[in-house]
Amino acid sequence: MNDDLSPERRQFLKIGGALLAAAPMVAAAPAVFAAGGKGPASERSAKGVKGVLTGHWANLPKAKGPRLVVVGGGTSGLSVAKYAKKDNPRLDVVLVEYRDMYSSCFCSNLWYPDIINLEFLAKHSFLDAAKNNHYTYFNATCIGLDRDSKIVATSEGDIRYDYVCIAPGIAYDWEKIGIDDIETQTRMRQEYPPGFIDPTEHVTIKRKVDTFEGGTWIQTVPTGNYRCLPAPYERACLIASVIKHKGLKGKVIILDGNPEITIKAPGFHAAFKDFYKGIIEWMPSTRVAGVDLDKKIIHGEVEDFAFDEATIYPNVRASTLIEKLGLMAPTSKTAQKEADIDIRFYNLVGDEHVYVSGDARPMPYSKSGNTSNSEGHFVGHIIAMRSQGKDVKKWESPETLCYSMVNAYPQQAIWVDTHYGYDAKKDAITGFADVKVDNTPSEKNAPAYLAWGRGMYRDMFRA
Amino acid sequence: MDRRHFVKLCAGSALATLLARQTPAFSGEIKTFPAATLVDAHGDPLKASRASPQEAMVFAYPFAGIPCFLINFGSHGAKTQALTAPDGTSYTSPAPVGPERNLVAFVAICTHQMSHPTPDASVIHYASAATATADQPGRIVCCAHHSVFDPASGGAKVSGPAPSPLLPVQLACDAETGVLQATGTVDVEFFERFFDDFKEDLIDRFGPGGYRKPVGGMTKAVLLSEYSRVVADC
Repeated sequence: MNDDLSPERRQFLKIGGALLAAAPMVAAAPAVFAAGGKGPASERSAKGVKGVLTGHWANLPKAKGPRLVVVGGGTSGLSVAKYAKKDNPRLDVVLVEYRDMYSSCFCSNLWYPDIINLEFLAKHSFLDAAKNNHYTYFNATCIGLDRDSKIVATSEGDIRYDYVCIAPGIAYDWEKIGIDDIETQTRMRQEYPPGFIDPTEHVTIKRKVDTFEGGTWIQTVPTGNYRCLPAPYERACLIASVIKHKGLKGKVIILDGNPEITIKAPGFHAAFKDFYKGIIEWMPSTRVAGVDLDKKIIHGEVEDFAFDEATIYPNVRASTLIEKLGLMAPTSKTAQKEADIDIRFYNLVGDEHVYVSGDARPMPYSKSGNTSNSEGHFVGHIIAMRSQGKDVKKWESPETLCYSMVNAYPQQAIWVDTHYGYDAKKDAITGFADVKVDNTPSEKNAPAYLAWGRGMYRDMFRA
Repeated sequence: MDRRHFVKLCAGSALATLLARQTPAFSGEIKTFPAATLVDAHGDPLKASRASPQEAMVFAYPFAGIPCFLINFGSHGAKTQALTAPDGTSYTSPAPVGPERNLVAFVAICTHQMSHPTPDASVIHYASAATATADQPGRIVCCAHHSVFDPASGGAKVSGPAPSPLLPVQLACDAETGVLQATGTVDVEFFERFFDDFKEDLIDRFGPGGYRKPVGGMTKAVLLSEYSRVVADC
């Protein structure tokens, strides 16, 4: 126990400790979510046990300055933690991450045809990131937030904060593609992982690509603002590239819920036509309306599609943590259950001590690695300034530079680079601004893609 | 030839003298290292007249593992200016050298995320013509994250995420023979970070500690397209 405790709290901890000893921690977790403001935990707070959510403090040294707790060790959280500390060295930064090993989502498509190896994605240590950038990595799962007492509850105990930044990423929204029973959702997660959240999904897809012997592979593209707009098209190209390279009798059908390829359309169309004629079949405006996993059939709104293998990408929403912590915006502001934050400065509406960054944001930015990385610099800066009593008045656009490998043999890539606009009168993000693009598949772009990824790993994990 | 004599020769013209007064060539701002004469693939001294206006030439300086660009920026107007290195050191960018006063050199490591030329590929290059990323000709472009620098303005950032200019390499040029020497640079701390961050690659290429060795009295300069198998051209 490393924090100062009042006599009342000591008494509670004694009782709470006994309770927790009798029941597994996970059993206590549901009651902990969404403390502060509303809900049962808050009511409990009002009865004199305010501030102690799990019954014990996390095993962390006492804060040496204003404490920033960053929840989530993905692209966004790692970037926010580093740059908040850099811009205000007095901050005592704790990164709470439930994984004990990092593996990158961005660049993961490149693993499937062995353009990179797993080391490229995963040889990046949370321990090194924390050491190099002078913060603390805390391997735990966030299970609650009490904004009244400024406490983050984790599976390893409570952490008092002065500022907290929640960067939990996305969750899959299976119901949007007609998969609304929990049995099928569970089977989908395990048998047909989309490959856009957890590293273990990438490993399963890699095994599927390596063992694909021919037939029909279906890649679906969801509607809405899904994570990494070009990724399903890129993956289709790279699987087609493997089919072509191995001389398999196979094809890739892209069931696209959108009427047009959502980004870099001329580049992908060129690749489909020039590299994969007869291998890739792109079907626009073809939304998934359900699946029959036993028969290996995807139901479209008009017709059914049989498959031998599939990577079915459902719509996305913000991580369920946002909803559980009570940070979700009303449906009038978000169709994807994202956080209710100031769209310029990322603090929760009405609370400048709580921030949400990364793909759980409601702004219409591309949900991609470079967006979260560049945005993370800015969010870190905002928290660093405000923690010193200084205001930040100038909004900064994130940058989304995004390469797509459209061929593996030889490696050829295309790219788009964009910022975003803000309309002060409407207080709204207006979409892409200052767009640059190269839609010509080129071998010269391929090493730049790899350098793009390496550079972001370097930014997150090195000093 | 000792360095004083070499500099005297380089600063032979009235213009050069004026430039030298305005922007002291060997002020305390630029850290001097033992001078290295740039040589071609045959080991012959590289003369200013052979510096390509089309693409950068790569040479190592002051250590074997630090790649640098020699750039002939042609007829673009040049200016020296006060700049700040990544470690916070303020310096005045070295004046261009050569008969046309259009030769400059930089450490070819992007100050954003340290992308740099290797024998496999270079994603940082000098673009004599405008590109999709650099809307003006004569820029240094890093395709990793699209930072753009102006070699004629001391390597200052034009656009993109880089927080600092490219680090300058000070050149000297023999006014009679046109032979080029590298004589100094700034921010040794940056080199240490680079060595630390890319140690595995550098050990593979140069052997343990080999990347830290001073280049000695001569350093080979080759065209970037010969140095790297693939050069990104964003």
